[in-house]
Amino acid sequence: MAETTVIDDGKKSEAFVLSPEKLRRQRIAKFIGEGFLLVVASFVAVVVLFIFYFVAVDAIPFFQQRGFAEFFTSTSWYPADEPGEFGALAIIYGSGMVTIGSALIAVPLGISAAICLSDVLPFSVRQYAKPVIEMLAAIPSVAYGFFALVIFAPLLQNYGGPILMWAWWLIAGPFVLLAVIVVGDVLTSGNDDSSKRKTMRAVLTGVLSIIAVVFLYWAGSALNAIQILSGTNALNVSLILSFMALPTIVSVSEDSLQAVGRELREGSYALGATRAETLVKTVLPAASSGILAAVILGIMRAIGETMVVWMASGNSSHIPDPWYNYLDSIRTLTATIAGDMGEADQVTGSARYHVLFAMGLLLLVFSFFSNLISERIVVRQRKILSGE
Amino acid sequence: MNLGTRKILDRSFTAVGITSITLMALALLVVVVPIFKGGIGAIYFKGTIEHRKLQYNEFGKGNRLVLDRQIAESEPYREEVYRMLDAFEAEMESMEPGEKRNYSSKYKKVRDILSHLLGPLPGDQEPILLRYQYGNTRWEQAEEGLHKLMFVTKWDYSNPNEMAKQYFVPRADEFSGTALAALFPYMESSLEKMLLPEQTFYWGFLTERSLDAHIFGGIWAEIQGTFFLAVGAMLFAFPLGVIAAIYFTEYAKDNFFTSILRSANSTLAGVPSIVFGLFGLAFFINTIKVSDSKSVLAGSLTLAIMILPTIIRAAEEAILAVPKTYKEASLGLGSTKWRTIVTVILPAALPGIITGGIISLGRAAGETAPIIFTAAVSVGATIGLADVFTQPTPALSWNIYNLASEHEAANEIRHVQYGMVLALISIVLLLNLSAILLRARISKKLKG
Amino acid sequence: MQMTAEEKDASKVASKSGATRDIFLPPERERVKDGGKPHVMAKNFSIFYGDFEAVKKVDADILSKYVTAIIGPSGCGKSTFLRAINRMNDLIPSCYTTGTLMFDGEDVYGRYTDEVQLRKKIGMVFQKPNPFPKSIFDNIAYGPRLHGVKDKKMLEGIVEKSLRKAALWDEVKDRLERNALGLSGGQQQRLCVARTLAVEPEILLLDEPTSALDPKATAKIEDLIEELRGSYTILIVTHNMQQASRVSDYTMFYYEGDLVEYAPTKQLFTNPRDQVTEDYITGRFS
Repeated sequence: MAETTVIDDGKKSEAFVLSPEKLRRQRIAKFIGEGFLLVVASFVAVVVLFIFYFVAVDAIPFFQQRGFAEFFTSTSWYPADEPGEFGALAIIYGSGMVTIGSALIAVPLGISAAICLSDVLPFSVRQYAKPVIEMLAAIPSVAYGFFALVIFAPLLQNYGGPILMWAWWLIAGPFVLLAVIVVGDVLTSGNDDSSKRKTMRAVLTGVLSIIAVVFLYWAGSALNAIQILSGTNALNVSLILSFMALPTIVSVSEDSLQAVGRELREGSYALGATRAETLVKTVLPAASSGILAAVILGIMRAIGETMVVWMASGNSSHIPDPWYNYLDSIRTLTATIAGDMGEADQVTGSARYHVLFAMGLLLLVFSFFSNLISERIVVRQRKILSGE
Repeated sequence: MNLGTRKILDRSFTAVGITSITLMALALLVVVVPIFKGGIGAIYFKGTIEHRKLQYNEFGKGNRLVLDRQIAESEPYREEVYRMLDAFEAEMESMEPGEKRNYSSKYKKVRDILSHLLGPLPGDQEPILLRYQYGNTRWEQAEEGLHKLMFVTKWDYSNPNEMAKQYFVPRADEFSGTALAALFPYMESSLEKMLLPEQTFYWGFLTERSLDAHIFGGIWAEIQGTFFLAVGAMLFAFPLGVIAAIYFTEYAKDNFFTSILRSANSTLAGVPSIVFGLFGLAFFINTIKVSDSKSVLAGSLTLAIMILPTIIRAAEEAILAVPKTYKEASLGLGSTKWRTIVTVILPAALPGIITGGIISLGRAAGETAPIIFTAAVSVGATIGLADVFTQPTPALSWNIYNLASEHEAANEIRHVQYGMVLALISIVLLLNLSAILLRARISKKLKG
Repeated sequence: MQMTAEEKDASKVASKSGATRDIFLPPERERVKDGGKPHVMAKNFSIFYGDFEAVKKVDADILSKYVTAIIGPSGCGKSTFLRAINRMNDLIPSCYTTGTLMFDGEDVYGRYTDEVQLRKKIGMVFQKPNPFPKSIFDNIAYGPRLHGVKDKKMLEGIVEKSLRKAALWDEVKDRLERNALGLSGGQQQRLCVARTLAVEPEILLLDEPTSALDPKATAKIEDLIEELRGSYTILIVTHNMQQASRVSDYTMFYYEGDLVEYAPTKQLFTNPRDQVTEDYITGRFS
């Protein structure tokens, strides 16, 4: 060392060049340390494999005993009979029904709320809106279930007709009137004479408005006459599930809208577009794949939800009549697993026990692929937006 | 399109957005306000003398002297009722058999309602179940009972196109001309003097055990069970999650294996909660047998794997938010990578990591589906800390379901259900609120 | 590698590659004691980011106890070169080097080199002041604690000494327990210098230390550099040519990864030998 040391002020600290021995020891320590971290990080992957394995292992005996046909095509669900019948079609249908129902409510609401959060509201208001969404997400599902069963179901049962009518007026009313204005405008825009056009538009809009109000009133009173036999039905569950899916849809969509740069918006404004036009024609298409991912994640939340559907869906395993009757009771996969395991538990190994794992496997596979798809979509959007 | 129309469309678009946000806020209020109102009713209500008797006899709470005085005060009015009943019974003895049979079933109904209101009547067998040993402990229930006593509920099926309508007939009519007819006006005027209702703060609701399957008593066992399960889950998930996050942010190379691990993480986050329950049952209980049957341990482990992805994500975000310059400065001073992580990066990321942890804790406390098959029992006593490895426990989330959907007297113990929901929501929302505040403080601090 | 006595005494220090450059020690009165020995020696040293050669085949000796400034337009590789000396570039996965870089006669990128020990000897101060979100005391004590100093009294001594050296002691001695983020930008940067000095490095690397500071704070940092000159080998990357001419004894000019010129500062600024250097220092491009 002394030979090659240029600076020699007598107080040399430890050398920065290690002996091979020390270096090896250091490398081994580092290897062990990083190996430990890797093992812990891989734990999640192991858990996922285990979940698939252990759910599948208990699901396969069911299909071995009973085959696939009955499970997927029959609607007779009598697991307690001897021999039992395990037709899950109605249950799968019920799961699909509440999922679609909640998506129909949550998707438009969630996307417009996300747009509002990212582009309309000033920052000061947004600060308060975000915690509201977080709270909505934080409320435990059993509390929603309790609300649906104890508070909302009786309301729906006793005042179902008026509730539906009011909802119809409040939701459809503004949209129908807006449609009237737009149709009036579009139909008369071909005319060149400006004063004539104005009168024509006024007349047309007036006539259309009368038709629209009559239509709204007619449909409203039809809804008012509806009597709901049981408040625990698909409509109740769909509505509550949509509350639960909303936070996911809003926050993921909002992220995706934020990812669309300001330049794109400014470009559109500079061409004379209104805010609505800018958002609908420029920003939404650019953010569409991220919003799609948000919708998928929201749907996953709804289909995987247990407590609300268990408590408030009525748990009757039949396909409603007619098939779109949301005022009928239904039964879902999750609720069936939760409800039947209690009875099936004692007979571990029976078809009745394994069929519940088959349902679990179905849910698991569905959530796995939805997740995969939404992940791909998000990655693709990120690539497109970053111009790769 | 006409510019005016375009502007109207633009405004409506804004209006739709603001309406959706408002609707979400309203949804929150619509769900939370009734629960809050109902839940408060479990703690603050008009308690009758029966409530005070129960509290004294079962929990030794209250003042014996005051209670004795109140009992003495209410007793004369009750005696009057008993006297009327005796008089009617004597009258029945002298009736013809047909008439007697007609009256006896109606009379039995009256006696049932009365014993429910006031507690066991003289001549009744000493009841075994606690719920029959006391009258109505809550005044609003007593008022409902009084209504039931005063009127017979009938249903109108006359219009086959509509649902049957409810209507009430005074019960006094059934006994007109007998000695019992006087009972009904007397009950209406004197019930308050028999039960002596007064506004009561019943804090014991949160700290006492339940009596007779939640007919009486508090919800301490459930609160404690929820606490054990959630904290247990955190004990497993938090260290694992933070270590995994350190690996992902500081050590993972950008390769296929890492992307698989990340994918696994988001897959786990998307697994339906009930499937975690199935897995917990199949793996923790039936395969590796952490306990013979349901136990807090099995439930905590199941909840832990459920909240793991959330913790990992939050910790990753918090670590990535630490300015890169801290790391450079520390390495530049001759610190090793690991020491840099432990002494600089983790302390700076800690508030963010804790925020994620708090939110996950709330989620673990609120989940029901994963613990149905692994940890929760409907009726159970408070368990000790040593029992967590072997014993199942009641928990708020599960018992809300159980009491609301499966309890034999679900309608009579709505206040308990509301109280439980309020307790659970309060725990979860307070946790979330503190997380939100903590996060606001962090962002302020980072801005300087 | 060994220096002969004649060479040590010579006022003219030849670089290892010899003929291409003449490096003169400053005039007698500006000379520092025991200084002027090659402390860091680059030989055919290149730095790559993936396929991109950010620093191209540099041959240069950095002289001990003098201040060497590195100037050049943005993206010319000056920061990259600086960060290569204490191996901060290791943080960038795609970065690798060829050729050799010697420090104290040992290969910085050698097989047995421990970059952690190396960085202890080669301190670094960054562009933006980056104190840890801890107290002033803990910031300074961070390094010594890392390297095993636990005694409270000793730490206090180190903290005071380092802060005095960084000319910050008088300003902060009453609030050592306060959060360092509460200091002004200039104070924070001097704190970072003090924090670096506390581990007793041999070399100080300053990566544009004043670019985030106002003129007054900049002047203080420059004074500080002047103070430290003669005690430490200092390398400073700067955008500001006036600063380079004010504080440094030697200046390196980098352009597109090439070390175009390396000479005593006065010479480089008054009589550049290369046309590109002249264009740069006269402001024809930047």
